[in-house]
Amino acid sequence: MRFATFGDGRQPNVQATWRMQRIILVALMLTACVTTCAFAQAQPEENTKKPGRLEVYPSTVELTGAKDFQHIVIRSVGDNGITRDVTDTATIESGDTNVVFVSDGRVRAWGNGESHLAVTYDGQTLQMPVKVTKVEHQRAVSLRLDVIPTLTSAGCNNGSCHGSARGQDGFHLSLFGYDPNGDHYAMTRELPGRRLNFARPAESLLVKKAVGRAPHTGGKLFDLDSHYARTLIEWIERGAPNDPADIAHVTHIDVFPPDMVLTAGGEPQRMIVRSYYSDGTNRDVTELATLMSNNDVCARVDTSGRVTPGQRGEAQLLARFDVHSVGIPVIVIPADAPTVSPPQPANYIDEFVHKKLVNLRIQPSDVCTDDVFLRRAHIDLTGMLPTPEAHAAFIGDERPDKRARLIDELLQRKEFVELWVMQWAERMQIRSTLEVSYKAMLLYYNWLQERLAADMPLNEIVRELLSATGGTFTSPATNFYQLERDTLKLSENVAQSFLGARMQCAQCHNHPFDRWTMDDYYSFAAFFAQVGRKPAEDPRETIVFNNRNGEVNHPVGNRAMPPRFLGGPAPDIKGRDRRVVLAEWLTSKDNDMFARNVANMVWAHFFGRGIVDPVDDVRVSNPPSNGPLLDALAERLVAYNYDLRRFVRDICNSRTYQLSAKTNPTNAEDQRNFSHAAIRRIRSEVLLDCISQVTGAPNKFKGLPLGARAVQIADGNVSNYFLTTFGRAKRETVCTCEVVMEPNLSQALHLINGDSVNQKIAEGSLVKGLVDAGKPPEAIVDHLYVACLSRVPTDTERTKLHEVLAMAEDKTAALNDLFWALLNSKEFMFNH
Amino acid sequence: MTHTCNDGTCGGGDHTRPSRRDFLYVGLVGGLGLTLPDFLRQQAFADQKDYALKTPVADSIIHIFLPGGMSAQESFDPKPFAPPEYRGPYSAINTVLPGVQFSEHLPHTAKIADRITVCRGMTHGEAAHERGTHNMFTGYRPSGALQFPSMGSVVSHELGPGSDLPPYVCVPSIPNEYAGTGYLSTRYGPFALGSDPAQGDFKVRDLSLPGDVDHQRFARRQALLETVDSHFRALENADVLDAMDAFYQRAYTMISSKQAREAFNLAAEPDALRDAYGRNEAGQRMLLARRLTEAGVRFVSLVYGSWDHHANIAGGAKDQLRAFDQAYAQLIRDLDERGRLERTLVMVTTEFGRTPKINGDGGRDHWPRVFSIALAGGGVQRGLVYGASDATGGGPDLDALTVEDLATTIYNQLGIVADKELMAPGGRPVEIVNGGKVITDILAKPA
Repeated sequence: MRFATFGDGRQPNVQATWRMQRIILVALMLTACVTTCAFAQAQPEENTKKPGRLEVYPSTVELTGAKDFQHIVIRSVGDNGITRDVTDTATIESGDTNVVFVSDGRVRAWGNGESHLAVTYDGQTLQMPVKVTKVEHQRAVSLRLDVIPTLTSAGCNNGSCHGSARGQDGFHLSLFGYDPNGDHYAMTRELPGRRLNFARPAESLLVKKAVGRAPHTGGKLFDLDSHYARTLIEWIERGAPNDPADIAHVTHIDVFPPDMVLTAGGEPQRMIVRSYYSDGTNRDVTELATLMSNNDVCARVDTSGRVTPGQRGEAQLLARFDVHSVGIPVIVIPADAPTVSPPQPANYIDEFVHKKLVNLRIQPSDVCTDDVFLRRAHIDLTGMLPTPEAHAAFIGDERPDKRARLIDELLQRKEFVELWVMQWAERMQIRSTLEVSYKAMLLYYNWLQERLAADMPLNEIVRELLSATGGTFTSPATNFYQLERDTLKLSENVAQSFLGARMQCAQCHNHPFDRWTMDDYYSFAAFFAQVGRKPAEDPRETIVFNNRNGEVNHPVGNRAMPPRFLGGPAPDIKGRDRRVVLAEWLTSKDNDMFARNVANMVWAHFFGRGIVDPVDDVRVSNPPSNGPLLDALAERLVAYNYDLRRFVRDICNSRTYQLSAKTNPTNAEDQRNFSHAAIRRIRSEVLLDCISQVTGAPNKFKGLPLGARAVQIADGNVSNYFLTTFGRAKRETVCTCEVVMEPNLSQALHLINGDSVNQKIAEGSLVKGLVDAGKPPEAIVDHLYVACLSRVPTDTERTKLHEVLAMAEDKTAALNDLFWALLNSKEFMFNH
Repeated sequence: MTHTCNDGTCGGGDHTRPSRRDFLYVGLVGGLGLTLPDFLRQQAFADQKDYALKTPVADSIIHIFLPGGMSAQESFDPKPFAPPEYRGPYSAINTVLPGVQFSEHLPHTAKIADRITVCRGMTHGEAAHERGTHNMFTGYRPSGALQFPSMGSVVSHELGPGSDLPPYVCVPSIPNEYAGTGYLSTRYGPFALGSDPAQGDFKVRDLSLPGDVDHQRFARRQALLETVDSHFRALENADVLDAMDAFYQRAYTMISSKQAREAFNLAAEPDALRDAYGRNEAGQRMLLARRLTEAGVRFVSLVYGSWDHHANIAGGAKDQLRAFDQAYAQLIRDLDERGRLERTLVMVTTEFGRTPKINGDGGRDHWPRVFSIALAGGGVQRGLVYGASDATGGGPDLDALTVEDLATTIYNQLGIVADKELMAPGGRPVEIVNGGKVITDILAKPA
């Protein structure tokens, strides 16, 4: 039951490339199609005959050499946002047929010069400038520009074939061609005379195996008359040369059109891929690029770049060429999907969320009730439940802006800071280890706590952390360099914690589904190559310093890599601590990855899911569910000078944060566009604190006074059965996955029978106290409900509870059983 | 390109006949957003290597793991004819198999050698504790980029629960980080006892109702909880709630199921039998493992002892070997006498072996090039020594057994084809075992 996505007759190719494709296909299945959807209230869309807006891609064409060509895509964008491919029906006229002509859907060169193409459709005309140079010259087939892209496109050098660490059947190529010189050696000189036949190039084993004329474990990959085979044969005819040292390299790639909104089951849309080279030229590489969809049910793409819409949903199309990957979003909606009219936005956040929802034809949920909002805001902002007094005050408050007032009030609580100290402590791995004594850990924690409490901007905290020098007691931020002492792991941690990028793959090969190359990896690691460590007077202390010595070498060629910012330039590091240079850049406005990552991390706390999710896995192939929203949030965060409170205030005041979890027919299936509140299990520390709060039975944790909250635990190594079972992070890695939110059997058993609930109910003796104070059972029921769930019981519940209580001989025991039931209820353990 | 399950290609167990939970998960699939690994997996089947379950030969696995790295020379593969510095402190004794000798501290096991298969050519290249452990728990070499699931989690994922009990149980607790679910959903994680069967007052944590709650009162609690929950359930409809519900149901089942509670009740075993196993960690853990597999647990992961004998191996290993020997031989005999050995595969493994030469401290250091493991039941041959180490225990001499082959063979006996691919995050389909083969030579009855 294997499927090839490339349905264009390259069937034999499947064996070699299917693995690669499906890796992405499936990996990127962040979305799925809506298969069923009822539209109760919305009106069917009007079928306007108004002509759509005409768009032509690419905006200009530059052809170099007689054989160069460029595909073009022409589309019409309707008022309803739906895009339609009209490339075949539009009229295209050459401005000067002595310069340029169009055949077979391709723009081709006739003679040197400049002209244009006039594209006309539905009464509109657009002009596309065309420039042709060097028609008298034809570039020779090159190893890097042609041969390796061919091998990559055909799947020869992927991880399951010759690109695997040990090669395949004795022939080893570098994975996706990261080592062209090594590949040249493997093909030409490793077994001289075996793989290439210079006398009869088409008889070369390299070609014969690939075209199925010699036994090949990987099967037949392409035909002898394909452009793949022609490239290989032509190269061998030329003597299979390596490239000159100054050969142009790919600087970036573009994919056109930049997005698509298609109708389900409707007409296909073409996409094209263009690569740009260091010598200023560009080239249409649609047929050499690897094209993938993360959601074939929704939109499929074949090797020629035809995108066929399937069922309703969202997909990401990914194009990879050379070391570059670019993704474009596709939305597929039914042709008759009714439009939606979103409610009045409360702030910019809602505007970006609604814009996406309109495209998806999703109506956001209603705003939640005051009860729900009060509880949600308390848990998210302070990690505590609202007290019955706070509940009464809020419900009784008649002012229209009481929610905004509550947000402002909660933002000023010290619990707000503690909640964020805990989360940053996870990013910074604050825990005691063999290398980090308990005292050093505590100083490190206090360092972080003081700064967050004093409203120090987040970027300054991280800058201070990364540039830290000195003793782990006197300059506690240096403990960051003690908690991970391996240079490569350290640089991976920094990338993951503060930039959200997982670099691990690029240690051994260019990341196949992301922008990071081995060069990026080792150049980034080079910032941490000169971290010196020496013992201090106190045996529990270590001094971290810049030892001005040490390099990181690239495993291919063993060259020392100059430090270079991730996705940025190589800085001047002369006479400076490399880490300081990095810290300045990382937290500066030049690096948008940091702001985006922090914004996304904060967002995820309030919505249970990042805009990029997980927050520490930013990849081209793991796109944000709403890119413009993330951009806007990051911009605000920078504009606010990383003022966390101000930023959080925006989030909590948005209508989007205040949505009900109750869905409507249009958004019931949506999990990633924030069209309704997500139901989230409360994280372990907060859940235990909430149980302690309502039962009135305090906890005791190592190093903290009786009654301290679990959120305040400094050391990742301090835990108890409850916290461990409910997934507290040990902070052994920086991965956000350490915080486990999934339920398990032990959690259920522990809440049902364990001491965290039963013993605390007994210890706090809340019910007994209320009974002794002479409160009637009905009032105690209400009190328990409000304390645990921030609401009074419904009439149905009252009736049922009354029956149970009336039957009970021991009222206190029965009320305690209700208390138990409330603490075991999903309404209690989930934030909703 | 949707995946259908009616052609029998998508694996068995919980996939061939979707349960209510599966159905609910799939119900979510229509979504514009998809967070559920299950659905990913189902969709991904279209592009993953997939195999139907075979008819299993074994119903359960008991994996007895000896952390630290047990010496083969001092256990299953003595070298009585090697020079003294290789031979070590112990002598060798005959077993019931002609020409096969074990260490003098495995006298009971020597008597049941005709019921087990000893593999003396086990090999992998990982000489660090955590890496060796990783190999033996997951069937994979450690990778920086991917967390692999333990065999127990894979079995749980592939076969699902076999009774009121959870499919994968760790005795007494989760032994190391590699016993977890790796890239699979935590739904397939182990259930850890939380307390040691060797303790006199052994009780599974939180399985019994609190002292002041009898069944009548518990029924009232459940009724009250149902009242509170039903309001919320009517309002909110999310998959996470359903998952939590499922665990509450399983918890209720376990609390109220006599079968489940009895499975953990070691006191129900006759005193004589408990003595025969040995009233110690090895004995009582193995006895409990037998009870659990009888009650339908698919995979019991059990650890015993601490075998990292860098110094004084003569004194350090002896008592542990004796306790292990008594318990293990009794477990095999017990299972056999109850007619359950044929359906229960007992696997004894360790991190790695130990250096051929005794070191200056009278111990042996880490040696992953060759060591011994033992398999019994579940279709494994009776009375076989498979493979051999060389004369000084330096490397495999015959029939080297790799981690991949071992794991593939074990999975095979449960009916699981290890070449099947599961979905890792980042959308990476990963084989259950990468490139292993079934070692039919050690199987009397392959699945």
